Amino acid sequence: MLRVDPLANPEPLIRRVYAYVAYRIGDGPDAEDITSETFERALRYKKSYDSGKGEPVAWLIGIARRCIEGRPPTLEISSEQLEAVDHRDLEDDALRRIALSSAVGRLEERDRELIALRYGADLTARQIAELQGSKTNAVEVALHRSLARLRIHFEGEEPGVRKSRVQQ
Amino acid sequence: MRSWRKKREGLDLETELRANRPEPSRELIHRLEARVREDGRRSRVGSFRVAFAGALAAGVLAALASVGGLGYAATATSQAVQKASRVVHAQGVTVLHRAQSASRDQYGKPKAKKKKKHKKKARGVRFRRPPFTG
Repeated sequence: MLRVDPLANPEPLIRRVYAYVAYRIGDGPDAEDITSETFERALRYKKSYDSGKGEPVAWLIGIARRCIEGRPPTLEISSEQLEAVDHRDLEDDALRRIALSSAVGRLEERDRELIALRYGADLTARQIAELQGSKTNAVEVALHRSLARLRIHFEGEEPGVRKSRVQQ
Repeated sequence: MRSWRKKREGLDLETELRANRPEPSRELIHRLEARVREDGRRSRVGSFRVAFAGALAAGVLAALASVGGLGYAATATSQAVQKASRVVHAQGVTVLHRAQSASRDQYGKPKAKKKKKHKKKARGVRFRRPPFTG
């Protein structure tokens, strides 16, 4: 039987794994370390990859999840950091990115995991269900709820208000 | 700032999450790509070596078979085995079968054991007191 190389095209995989890890534990050097560790493990156990069980990205995300386990979450951005960012003359996109990252960081672990799998690793609800051992329907409902909670956190972010408070 | 808030009013959170997905640094991508490539090259070299050794062995066998070398080699091997076994068994101890010995036939049967007879004690020899005569 011809063996499929799961890491034949690594760049998109690196991007998706990193996005997943960054949504889980926060953007930065820790996320880079875990992404590197994930790929090291993937290279070590490359022969154990079974293409019949799923796509390479799902396999890699499974490894990344195990790498993250036991590490303390470092995603939450403190209000001081956000205020410091506000003082700088950043563009809208950068502000939105920071606010979004902060809002994701305030979610509970389960919600954050779902958001990271769906929008970071870009997995489908079905793939997430396979990874978590649950039903696709249940994942879709949970995702909907997670998004609703994220919206509350995100809309609660008012950097403009905070900025004016600092100026007073 | 106003434009940012205005954009957020009609917010499509899913699009935002996808658009603002965290990106790895170029350095990380290059480093990991190089690592993956290097590993792939190493495993390719390993499999090439195995394939080369297999092909070489098959070629040698085919060349031998074409000139009848395989039969020659098989004969030589079997002769070597025979000689070796002869050398090993030359110093062996010859064991005669016991039933073939004439003396064994005549004297070899083990004597049947005689049963010891229990000597019965003679009855009536018991000591009796003489009758009382007064």
